[in-house]
Amino acid sequence: MSLDLSVFNRFAITKRAGDIIFCEFEPGDAFYLIQSGKVKIVKIVGDLEKTLDILNPGEFFGEMALLEEAPRSATTIALTDVKLLEFNRANFEVLMQGQPQIVLNLLKLFSKRIYDQKRRFMILTLDDIQARVADVFLMLDENGPRPIDPTDNTRNFANSVDDIAHWAGISPAKASEVLKQFANQRRVEIQQGKIIVKNIMDFHRLVKSKRQG
Amino acid sequence: MPKATQYKSSSVIYFQGDVGDKIFILKGGKVLSKTNDIETKEEINELVAPGEFFGVKSALGRYPRDETALVLSDSEVLVFTVPEFEQLVLANTRIIMKMLKVFSNQLRRMHGKVQNLIGKGSTKDAEEGLFSIGEYYFTNRQYKSAIHALARYLTLYPSGRYAAEASDMARKAGQGASKFDSTAMFAAAGADDEPDFAPPTAAPAAAAAPAAPAETVSAKGFFEAVALANQEKYLDAFKIFQKIVTTNADPEHSAKAEFEMGRCLVFLTKYDEAIKHLTGLIQKYPKHPDLKDALYFIGRSYQGKNDNTWARNFYTKILNLAGEDEPVAVKTRKALKELEGVAG
Repeated sequence: MSLDLSVFNRFAITKRAGDIIFCEFEPGDAFYLIQSGKVKIVKIVGDLEKTLDILNPGEFFGEMALLEEAPRSATTIALTDVKLLEFNRANFEVLMQGQPQIVLNLLKLFSKRIYDQKRRFMILTLDDIQARVADVFLMLDENGPRPIDPTDNTRNFANSVDDIAHWAGISPAKASEVLKQFANQRRVEIQQGKIIVKNIMDFHRLVKSKRQG
Repeated sequence: MPKATQYKSSSVIYFQGDVGDKIFILKGGKVLSKTNDIETKEEINELVAPGEFFGVKSALGRYPRDETALVLSDSEVLVFTVPEFEQLVLANTRIIMKMLKVFSNQLRRMHGKVQNLIGKGSTKDAEEGLFSIGEYYFTNRQYKSAIHALARYLTLYPSGRYAAEASDMARKAGQGASKFDSTAMFAAAGADDEPDFAPPTAAPAAAAAPAAPAETVSAKGFFEAVALANQEKYLDAFKIFQKIVTTNADPEHSAKAEFEMGRCLVFLTKYDEAIKHLTGLIQKYPKHPDLKDALYFIGRSYQGKNDNTWARNFYTKILNLAGEDEPVAVKTRKALKELEGVAG
C-alpha cells in the first residue's frame, strides 16, 4: 500500500505470532489494517479449526462488525509477528477525514466480497455433486489470473482437495471421490500439490447443463 | 467528467451478466432494475430512485452485472468511469459511508444464506459461542489461545452461564501453559496444529526465553485470581493481583491486575482505598482497556460511601464515553437508576 499512514501511528498495535487478535462471537468495536506480517482467519467447525483465509499487509479485517455492531463472525490469529492499525467507530471518522481512500478501498472490498458470496451460493445450490465440484474450478478460474494464451483451455490449480471440499460444501472424502471420477474420465489430473483441469470449457458445459436442469 | 446520456424508453442501459466498468446516476426519467432472487428465482423489479447510483458494486468489484437496467421512459443518466466515481465520492465522504453500510448489510445477509446452505447456520448465541471457542482451544491444549478466549468470556459475561466453568478452565489452561511452555511437545505437528506457545527457536531466543515463562506464570496467577474473585474470595484474589503488579513481569497482565485490585477493593467495601487505587490507575494508564470500568467502580465506591453527587458525576462521564450498547453503559444506567430510586 503506497499511502502514507504515518499519521495513524497512534493507532498502531503489535501482536506476537500465535496471539489471538479477536475471537468469533466477541462484540466487535474495531477493525484492522495489516501493516506488516500475516493474519489467519479461522473458524471452529465441529472439532476442527478451519483456516478460512490468510491475509497480508495492506488487507483489512474485522470491518463488518464495526459497521453493524454484530458479533465477530470468525477468529483472527497473528500468523507471524504483526503490526496492525486498529480503528474503532470513533477514530473511523478520523480515518475517513484523513485517508478516505482507505475507506473507499473498503467499499471495493465489500463489492467483491458480496459477489464472492453470491458466487459461492450459486455453487452450493447445484444438486449434482460433480457439477458442484466443476463449478468450484470455474469460480477459482474466474478469480485467478487470465491465461496468457486465450485459446488454451488447460488450467492448473494450486488448491488442495480440502479446499475444493470446502468450497463445494462437501466432505473431503466426497471431494476426493469426485476428483477420482474426473481423473478416470481424464477430465482432470491430480499431481503433487496441484490439480490440472484438462479443458475448462468442458466444465462450463457440465455446470451449465446442470444449472438449467 | 461524467457524461450526461439520454436513453430512450424501453432501451437497456446494461444487461444482467454484462461486464462493465461504468457507474450511473439517474438524473431524470424512469429506470427499472430487474433481477432474480438468488434463492427463489422470483423476478425482482425495483425502480431506481432519481439521484440514486446504480451499477456500483459490479463496476467497483469488477464482476458481471447482477441486474438488467431497463429504461421505462425517456431518461437522462450521468455515466461515470470508476476513477470519476472515486473522485466524486472522495470529495463527498458521506456517500462512501452510506454505501458502506448498505453493502455491509448485503454482505452479511448473503453470508448468512451461504451458511444456511452448508448447514452451519449458527444456533449458538454469542455467549455460548465465545465459551465454546475457549473450550475448543483448551481441549486442544492451545492454552494461550484458550486463556485469551476465556478471559474475553469472563470480561464480557462475569456472571454468565459458563462463568464458573470458564474461570476453572482458564486456571487449568494457565497451569497447562506454564507446564508445557518449556517443552517442544507439539512442535512436530503441522503448521496449523502448532501450539501457539511454541518456544522461540530463532537466535533472539536467549533474550526472549526469560520473558516467556514469566508471562505464563503471571497469566496463570492472573486467571487463578480471576477464578477466586468469581467465587467472591476477593481478599485472596486481591493478594495475587497485588503480587502480579509488584513483580511486574509482564506489563499486560500487571495493568489488568492493577484494575482487578481496584475491583476487589470495591467488593471488599474498602471504598476510599478503591477510589484512591483506581484514580491512580487511570492516571498511570490513561488508555487502560478497562478505563470505563474503572470509572464505573469509582462511581460504585462513591455510591457505597453514599456520596451520590460524585457517584452521579462518574456515571455520567461513562455514559458520555461509552457506546449505548456497551456492557459498561448498561451497568451504569442501572446504577444511575438505583441512585434515582434513592433520591426519589
